[in-house]
Amino acid sequence: MNIIINSSSMVPIYEQIVESVKKSIASGELRPGEALPSVRSLARDLRISALTVKKAYDQLESEGFTATVHGKGTYVLSINNELVREEQMKELESDMQVIVDKARRYDISMDELRELFRLVSED
Amino acid sequence: MLKINGLKKSYGDFHLDVSMEVPSGLVVGLIGSNGAGKSTTIKSVLQLIRPDEGSILFCGQEHGPGGTLLTKNEKEMLGVVLSDSGFSAYLSASDVGRICESMYTKFDRAKYEALCRDLEIPARGQIRTFSTGMKAKLKVAAALCHDARFLIMDEPTAGLDVIVRDHVLDLLRAYMEEKEDRSILISSHISSDLESICDTLYMIRRGQIVFHEDTDILLSRYGILKCSEEQYNEIDRQYICRRKKEPFGYTCLMTEKQFYLENYPKLVIENSGIDDLILLMEKGEDVS
Repeated sequence: MNIIINSSSMVPIYEQIVESVKKSIASGELRPGEALPSVRSLARDLRISALTVKKAYDQLESEGFTATVHGKGTYVLSINNELVREEQMKELESDMQVIVDKARRYDISMDELRELFRLVSED
Repeated sequence: MLKINGLKKSYGDFHLDVSMEVPSGLVVGLIGSNGAGKSTTIKSVLQLIRPDEGSILFCGQEHGPGGTLLTKNEKEMLGVVLSDSGFSAYLSASDVGRICESMYTKFDRAKYEALCRDLEIPARGQIRTFSTGMKAKLKVAAALCHDARFLIMDEPTAGLDVIVRDHVLDLLRAYMEEKEDRSILISSHISSDLESICDTLYMIRRGQIVFHEDTDILLSRYGILKCSEEQYNEIDRQYICRRKKEPFGYTCLMTEKQFYLENYPKLVIENSGIDDLILLMEKGEDVS
């Protein structure tokens, strides 16, 4: 599993890790039962704080993607792809909400926004 | 691992008053400009100077004024690099290895020699012929080879070029990965070093701890906002903790950049680093 961190991104680093791991699980690159790297070793590889990695692992666990066996490590759980899909849809929904809110603030009508969405999604 | 409570030491006009903690398994960074009190704090922990008052608990034992002296056993648990001291200039790296071997019960000579080769430190040749970088690398190498539980490093990367600094930091990361209950207390004024290795940070200024936060929170939640005076007066300032006057208006340190990203998409918002933090702490004013 390769994780690439963009440290100048506004997306917090732990979220970038969570996304990366989820992607690897969805693509089948990380299989159920497989262990994630230890907190310290991922922190070392990415040159970030172990607390950041821990936060990412905690979030993956609370969302049901992984389980941690104390003293052993963090393992990928077997999850159905629908759950992953649902997760992705939820994420898109909240991203879109941000756009809609922004449009309202700028006084842009929903029709204009749809037109814009059509334009952007064409290519 | 280490808990300092109300540590006080005065030198003339300078008054140190520090409370901080280094939990087991974490890397704690101490930042501050020259003369802020970093070395005084570290030397108090090592009992190289005698503090006026306060408590210093190391592995549950009181070693502050009124406490006991560090035992041989406790000293073996420590790996230390100090900025202004080193080995005798007339020794060679291999002499240092032999001396450490007879001083520490668990000194791993083979590991030390491998580390010296890896860091390109010549085994022979007196230390007085070494470059600044080589001397610094030797100090780190000697501190890492006796299975210490706690590393105390005062400016271990000072005077090193970026390649060597990176190498030294990688050694420290590897040290933390080897065993879970290890800790490091590290001071540096090279903030990028601290950002990439520390789990939690303390900033010390004129003898006082003025800021304490996990690196993760500093990098993910804190941010820098640049705005005109007009914009500054209009926005909700509840998450702005410091501001600094600029020709264009203000540079502000905010504790929740997400709030401003979402509510004021037109403002210039940047990720904050330790350098921004130091500048705003030193030159800015408190508006929280």
